[in-house]
Amino acid sequence: MTTSFDKLSTGDTIDGPSFAVSLESIRLFCDGSLDYNPLHLDDNYMKNSFGKTNFGGIIMHGMNNFGLITRMLTDWAYPAGAIHRRLETRWVKPVKPGDTIQSVGIIKAKQTTEKSRWVLIDVLVKNQNDEKVAVGEAMVEFPLTA
Amino acid sequence: MAQAEVFETDFWKDANLRKVWDEIVPGEPRKTLPYVLTREAIQLYCRSVGENHPLYFDEAYAKASPYGGLIAPPSIHILLMFSCTPADDWMRTPGTVNAGQSWSYNIPARPGDTITLQARALDKFIKRERLFVVHDNVFFNQRGDVICSGRGQTIRPM
Repeated sequence: MTTSFDKLSTGDTIDGPSFAVSLESIRLFCDGSLDYNPLHLDDNYMKNSFGKTNFGGIIMHGMNNFGLITRMLTDWAYPAGAIHRRLETRWVKPVKPGDTIQSVGIIKAKQTTEKSRWVLIDVLVKNQNDEKVAVGEAMVEFPLTA
Repeated sequence: MAQAEVFETDFWKDANLRKVWDEIVPGEPRKTLPYVLTREAIQLYCRSVGENHPLYFDEAYAKASPYGGLIAPPSIHILLMFSCTPADDWMRTPGTVNAGQSWSYNIPARPGDTITLQARALDKFIKRERLFVVHDNVFFNQRGDVICSGRGQTIRPM
């Protein structure tokens, strides 16, 4: 449903898309992003430890989470004439082939400035076990004309 | 155009040419390459994250929208980061782990844009025995308009 700045309340949620992660989806993200880091390609290499971390196998690109959150925000903002302005994320848990992830947004605050209106949104990506794999914060602008 | 004809997908190949954490100088500009963003590259990126909005795919829809034509999704900088840097850039070092990102968006990138990047390490530090670098990046179009700017942190392989 199309939203508007006036209708939004703190605590309102945005249900983002869910995304099935597979070796093929990770490989396609390599091609789409040109990020061919062996972290996302080479199972043998991923048996190694990285400093103090051992992932135990190929992991999804962290930026795939970022892309999924972006998709949620823009699909929500475009129909309202709003503009996705900022996204900050950090990764909490690696995502692996076989996982299904979903992004979610929760309205945190609304702010009116001299020339525009802004909505702050807590964002997260969770896996099929309801574990958070990425968390962050976004800012969407609702221009006065929107 | 300095754009690489063929993108080297074997990130081991130029590994010995890339700076390790010790050699990265915060504040020093990184080498970057102008890149012509194509509709095909935008749509391949879109498919890889399940983006199917008509603003990225349907020319007639996009033309009638407030954007006046096809655009790329804001997160296209994920692709631009690799397409605007050379094979010896340390972002490609195998084992580089992304530790978080923050990006601000000004105007959308569009098919046909020639994208340039101004980038540098802004800071580096050691935390819990891990080697971190803070990245500072700004993408521009051919008119010099800022498309987006962002800061990222990576953990460097040891």
